[in-house]
Amino acid sequence: MPPDTGGYMVAGYVVTTVILLVYVGSLWRRARRV
Amino acid sequence: MTEPLDPALGRARALTRRGLGISAVALLAFAAACGLALGFTPVEARQGLAQKIFYLHVPAAWCALLAFSLVGIASALYLWLHDRRLDLFAEASAEVGVMFSVVMLTTGPIWAKPIWGTWWTWDARLTLTLFLFFLFVGYLALRAAVHDPDERARFSAVLGIMGLVLVPFIHLSVYLFRTLHPQPVVLKPSAPSLPWEMLRTLLVSVAAFTLLYVGLVTARYGLALAQRARESGDAA
Repeated sequence: MPPDTGGYMVAGYVVTTVILLVYVGSLWRRARRV
Repeated sequence: MTEPLDPALGRARALTRRGLGISAVALLAFAAACGLALGFTPVEARQGLAQKIFYLHVPAAWCALLAFSLVGIASALYLWLHDRRLDLFAEASAEVGVMFSVVMLTTGPIWAKPIWGTWWTWDARLTLTLFLFFLFVGYLALRAAVHDPDERARFSAVLGIMGLVLVPFIHLSVYLFRTLHPQPVVLKPSAPSLPWEMLRTLLVSVAAFTLLYVGLVTARYGLALAQRARESGDAA
């Protein structure tokens, strides 16, 4: 039986998604200004 | 929408829009890679579900090292050719590389805590990677601090080349030093040491992240070109 490490997996996927979306959003905002 | 007067500004804006479009497609590919990793890839027996962080951490590390390598190459070419576009590309790649480094340096400890029992350890791979991250944060800070475009490009090109020198040490650090970090499972002389289902998911994720790198750098480079066109328009 594998160890219960699902919480860490969820944290990893959530953190990655948030970082990517925040950066794409910042580029999007900068693109609207130029 | 009104057509810009300056053709260079118009081309830069079009390039930015193209980059954002590629990034949107890449985000869909990223979502598909997440679905593949979470729903259709076997759970590793000893590590459990935390092992699936591997499908984010490795592609992020690949993109960060790719980005920083291209900064170094573009910087060296800038010092040789003095083409300002190379400097602007280096700036774009450095910023995107720092973003991928943040993904790498946050997913790594999240995986390490249940597997190693600690969030962080000062071994060679982790420490060198952290140095590389700080070096490129310094690179961006330097660019923000120097206002003369020629000086900014020259100073930051030297720093960018220093970063490129670190990249092979980081990749080889798991062979050169005693380290806790796992050894490469794909980028090594022998065949990949992963079951096919895991290798397939990793390759899909690497492709999605690489496409995202291309889209983000294109958009960021377009922004830099647009800013330069506006500054030269203001000065005229």
